[in-house]
Amino acid sequence: MLSYIVRRLGIGLITLTLITFIIYALIRNMPGSPVTQELSQLDPGKAISQEDYERIMKSYGLDKPWYIAYGIWVKNVAVGDLGRSFSRKRPVTQLVVERVGPTLLLSVSSLLLTYLLSIPLGLAATARAGSIEERTGSTILYMLYSFPSFVAALFLQLQFAVRMGWLPLFGMVSDNYDSLSAFGKATDIFWHALLPVTCYTYGSLAYYSRFIRANMQEVIRQDYIRTARAKGLGPIRVLWHHAFRNTLIPLVTLIGLTLPTLLSGSIIIEQIFTWPGMGRLFFESIRERDYPTIMGLTLMFSILTLAGQLLADVLYAVVDPRVRLEDK
Amino acid sequence: MTGEQNVIDPEGEPAPTPAGPLHAVVPKSPGFWKEAWRRFRTRKLAMVALAFVVLLALIAIFSPAIAGTKPVVVKYKGNLYFPALAYFNGSWENPVFAKDKFRKRYPKNLEEKDPDHWAIWPLSFNDPYRRVQDGEWPDRSGNPTQIDGQPSRLNWLGTDQQGVDVFAQMVHGSRIALLVGFVSMGIASVIGVVVGALAGYFGGWVDTLLSRVIEVVLCIPTLVLILALLAIIEQVTIWHMMAIIGATRWTSIARLTRAEFLKLKQMDFVAAARATGIGPIRIMFKYLLPNALAPVLVPITFGIASAILIESSLSFLGFGAPPPNPSWGTLLSAGRSNYQLWWLIVFPGTAIFLAVLAYNLIGEGLQEATDPRLRDADG
Repeated sequence: MLSYIVRRLGIGLITLTLITFIIYALIRNMPGSPVTQELSQLDPGKAISQEDYERIMKSYGLDKPWYIAYGIWVKNVAVGDLGRSFSRKRPVTQLVVERVGPTLLLSVSSLLLTYLLSIPLGLAATARAGSIEERTGSTILYMLYSFPSFVAALFLQLQFAVRMGWLPLFGMVSDNYDSLSAFGKATDIFWHALLPVTCYTYGSLAYYSRFIRANMQEVIRQDYIRTARAKGLGPIRVLWHHAFRNTLIPLVTLIGLTLPTLLSGSIIIEQIFTWPGMGRLFFESIRERDYPTIMGLTLMFSILTLAGQLLADVLYAVVDPRVRLEDK
Repeated sequence: MTGEQNVIDPEGEPAPTPAGPLHAVVPKSPGFWKEAWRRFRTRKLAMVALAFVVLLALIAIFSPAIAGTKPVVVKYKGNLYFPALAYFNGSWENPVFAKDKFRKRYPKNLEEKDPDHWAIWPLSFNDPYRRVQDGEWPDRSGNPTQIDGQPSRLNWLGTDQQGVDVFAQMVHGSRIALLVGFVSMGIASVIGVVVGALAGYFGGWVDTLLSRVIEVVLCIPTLVLILALLAIIEQVTIWHMMAIIGATRWTSIARLTRAEFLKLKQMDFVAAARATGIGPIRIMFKYLLPNALAPVLVPITFGIASAILIESSLSFLGFGAPPPNPSWGTLLSAGRSNYQLWWLIVFPGTAIFLAVLAYNLIGEGLQEATDPRLRDADG
């Protein structure tokens, strides 16, 4: 097991280098530089002299060719320095720490909601397989699964924020947030988070409950389920103790694969709700040609994706003794 | 292994049997695809979805005849012309109309320059790229703008802020949705199948190398890679977007092809083919690919849905092709700048949803119709 993990980590490091190299090459070859992007926002008519331009580029370390600059970036990352954001004039690590909270707020609450709702839904669907309720329910869930989250976000905004006026349209806090009490602050964020969390949740809810149902369907045909039924156990006990427990293995691997999405957030949902999270930070940094931030975030997302895959494989071996990792 | 029949007799014709009573006893076994189609047809939702996609394709093909300001057929100065074809390609508009200074205003100019003309007009006199002005069509007022542009008799699905008809934009946008799905997935399938086939058939270091490449592409968040690639292009067109979506969405196809090839290359018919001295390329694409096609078609169908989704979300975020581009996503983003214009959100949003849902349902149906394990399950 240990040698397997070490080997996977080694391969992961190579993959990581490749990914960052590709992304660095791509973003450095985008038209426009952080300097021109910044100036065009300030005043389109203001031209910058060639000397000033070169001076600023040099101070950003952009006077060197991109492959040399990539080497410098790697060297800094190796000692734990992700660099400073060009447009925000602050260390990238600090920016990430600031933005990760709001994203986690959405993703973690959505994940909990998904598990809380999808397990009973999946079990109920198995128990009543073939009935009319189950079929309509499955169809509705399938439709929800195909419903694009950004379309849902707009529909929800239209209905609950614009027409009914019950919920705020966007943002994370109200304008008077600072003057609120601690409880008021919490409820304020709660109301603002309601729509984005819904958008995050419904799709994965549909996916998870279908996933659970599909796995249960396989397990329920096994002989030991028939045995359990034959010895007179109630249907709930059979479903929960005998069937569901045996479907946990694929569920566990799924958790590993959702790890990166927990932190990365959704670019489009955060953009629609102007939620100050990671997805939005990424979107803004591409617009501003903020190379250090783009690279920092790419590095983070890729590490999480690779770690998630590794975690899924290891968890799989841990929960299922039949799986051996060495001979892959 | 139903798929094997394909190789032995691809036409599904009965193998030449020795003459005798045996011939009458053995019934002709249905081919794999015929069987799959029979199973697919029993799924109502999948058939509805298929009908919807066919409808969408018809709308896309006949879009200039459904909504436009150019006549479908016109007899002008003794000749027949088809000016509406200009919506497909600007250069297909006969130069005679440019010479006679029509300036895209057909009804009036036809009346003035050739009183004897006759013309067949589109169902809805509205242009997907511009506002219809006052009096452009006899007794027809110009399109309303902003909050006045609610759905009405003239503008069935309303108009946007500039007074451009939403119905016309959606009808012409269906062309984009359809093209994006098929072209980008066509590109992705070619890349995915070739990479997966090479990795699966050759194995060894080829497999190791290609699997790394797949992993790298898989690890980069799609939107990140696409945004970075899009940013490099100076003037993004819809074709660039299709190419980029295709170039980034091939990993699942490659992985499935690889797995299928790994499994299939152990089969006897491959050994037989190899023994007769057939080269690896021919074995891969003539003998193995037809057998691997069914499972690979499933991620391709799902991929079409996700390609439509990606294109509309990119257009929505403002990274799409520059205007005039009647993509459904562009319409949605126009709706986002003013929520009072609900028709700019509800109609294109529903269209995107239905298109995605239809392809997902077809993919699902295809999966259940072609997967032998699922087939055995339902008895």
